[in-house]
Amino acid sequence: MGVALVLAFPTMAPNAYILSAGIVVASYACTATAWNFMGGFTGYVSLGHAAFFGLGAYGTGILIRDLGLPSFVAWLLAGAIVLVITIPLGIAALRVRGASFVIVSISFVLILLLVFQAWGSFTGGSDGLVVPRPFPDLLRPEHHRVFFYLFAALLAVMLLVWWAIDRSRFGTGLKAVREDEDKAQALGVPTRNYKLVAYVVSATFTGLAGGMYALWFGDLDPIFQFSIMLGSYMVLMALFGGVRHLFGPLLGALVVGTGLEYFKLEFGDTQFHLVATAILLGVVVLFMPDGIIPAVQSLVRRFGPQDSSIREMTAAELLEHNRAVAAGGATAEGTTAVGHLERRGGATPTEGQGEDVGPRRGGPGGSSRGTSERMEDAAPRPRTGPEEER
Amino acid sequence: MTTTATEQRTRNLETVGLTKSFGGVHAVRDATVTFQHGKINALIGPNGSGKTTFFNCVTGMIKPDSGTVTFRGHDITRKAPHTIARAGIGRSFQLCRIFPRMTVLENMLVAVRPPRLRDLLGGARNPEEIDKARALLVRVGIDHLENAEARNLSYGQQKLLELAGVLMGDPDTIMLDEPAGGVNPALIGRIGTLVQELNAEGRTFLVVEHNMDMVMSLSHHVIVFDRGRPIAEGTPAVVQSDPRVLEAYLGV
Repeated sequence: MGVALVLAFPTMAPNAYILSAGIVVASYACTATAWNFMGGFTGYVSLGHAAFFGLGAYGTGILIRDLGLPSFVAWLLAGAIVLVITIPLGIAALRVRGASFVIVSISFVLILLLVFQAWGSFTGGSDGLVVPRPFPDLLRPEHHRVFFYLFAALLAVMLLVWWAIDRSRFGTGLKAVREDEDKAQALGVPTRNYKLVAYVVSATFTGLAGGMYALWFGDLDPIFQFSIMLGSYMVLMALFGGVRHLFGPLLGALVVGTGLEYFKLEFGDTQFHLVATAILLGVVVLFMPDGIIPAVQSLVRRFGPQDSSIREMTAAELLEHNRAVAAGGATAEGTTAVGHLERRGGATPTEGQGEDVGPRRGGPGGSSRGTSERMEDAAPRPRTGPEEER
Repeated sequence: MTTTATEQRTRNLETVGLTKSFGGVHAVRDATVTFQHGKINALIGPNGSGKTTFFNCVTGMIKPDSGTVTFRGHDITRKAPHTIARAGIGRSFQLCRIFPRMTVLENMLVAVRPPRLRDLLGGARNPEEIDKARALLVRVGIDHLENAEARNLSYGQQKLLELAGVLMGDPDTIMLDEPAGGVNPALIGRIGTLVQELNAEGRTFLVVEHNMDMVMSLSHHVIVFDRGRPIAEGTPAVVQSDPRVLEAYLGV
């Protein structure tokens, strides 16, 4: 259904403005999904992905201008150039983790912004660079329509690659890096190479999105291509939708991108769209740290049919549990493993699975609390868990 | 420890003159240690005696300042942790480390033998590996939690998961950093039994542990660390009566 909606959008769009806004949203969806190859899989947050967007855009434009290459050959070649450039950049940037990586990533985009502004003879500087349109015969609305489908196709390729990585062993390794990099390495995952590949794939797709944008928009300016805002949007959209999900960034781009376009249209002469973006980011981080997809999923789970949770206990099991604790005189800390041993030894066959896995570290919870805890425990609690106790 | 016994040891993992300082703190000083192949080796010593740093130097998590680490005749000093892991040394961490936001089964599928490129791009759900993972989960007793997110497990279950995850890589030598730390007595017994079973299958163990009951009942060979270097070694009985050990531990 989603695919049908996307395909039908250009036909349904009432005017060229809405259609072009749709293309902007589609390009956001591409960049956010491209960003997520790095951010989602490895957990490395790059705020400077606009650097690759700009490189792809300028690469395409300059290759067409100077070498007279056909538009889409130039586009692919620009993508290849971004790929090659990213390898040394990635090797350097991935030597650091966490906040340091974020700062290094920002430096890329700032450096490139200065270079592209200053080197006017090559890049056009602040006067801009005009990129010849690939389909000069097409009228404006037709042109928009074609590019909407091109962006959609690029997005489809990215989603396919993301899906393939997600289910691959390579993807498992990347996710292990996100969870605990040292541990992954201790288990034999060559983390540095894995991260580098993810980084290069992510940057190359971002570059391709940039090149596509250049071909569509036809006019490049360093201040817009190498923009911190653009990189921040990618992060915001991916976080908003949910970085662990295939369609998270796409969904985030749909909501945030549409919102941005709307705010620009309504309050275009102010900076209100930036304020709105900031508020949105705050809301996401505070209330939906994992993005809207997991938030909605857990909501559905909470109000939908309750499937068996691993922490779930029936009242009978709880009673049995409390008895076992009382009888064994075990401490609160010990309850779980006591269950274990008993199950192993078959001493108390009445104890079910729920008993065995109930990590009641808070102590042998009284049966009066049973019901409410059960409700809570059925839904995942994003920010609690054993890791917090370390 | 007699000379003949020393000669009879198959050399499995050994360090010569291993040294690591952090600023002015000499965490490990000139540590020369040979672990007995096919045995359960224990590393004991007071807090801050350098056991964990020693561990980290051996597994490549920390690069030693000087000295060498040899594993089955190969120099593995300063090799990357994943290279050392793939050479056959598996390890657990002091405060149990698992991948909290992955399922138990996914946790198991991280450690695999060096995959070929084709395997890398193929599905992570290789049936053989899944069978192997499930068998190991059955073995440690958490198979019913296969699809649970690892962070929802109790601490004891996480410890078992970590051990099972390490076993997925088929390590020849397994280094456990405080397997009994923060775990109740019943589970300590269970972990001890597992270690003995795995040892009987021919895996060498190297265990850092403070729980003396566990060390003394489990290990074949005990090495005592104090202030960054080994001060005594031998069978549990020998070590227990060694005056230097008593001094290091009890200050008498």
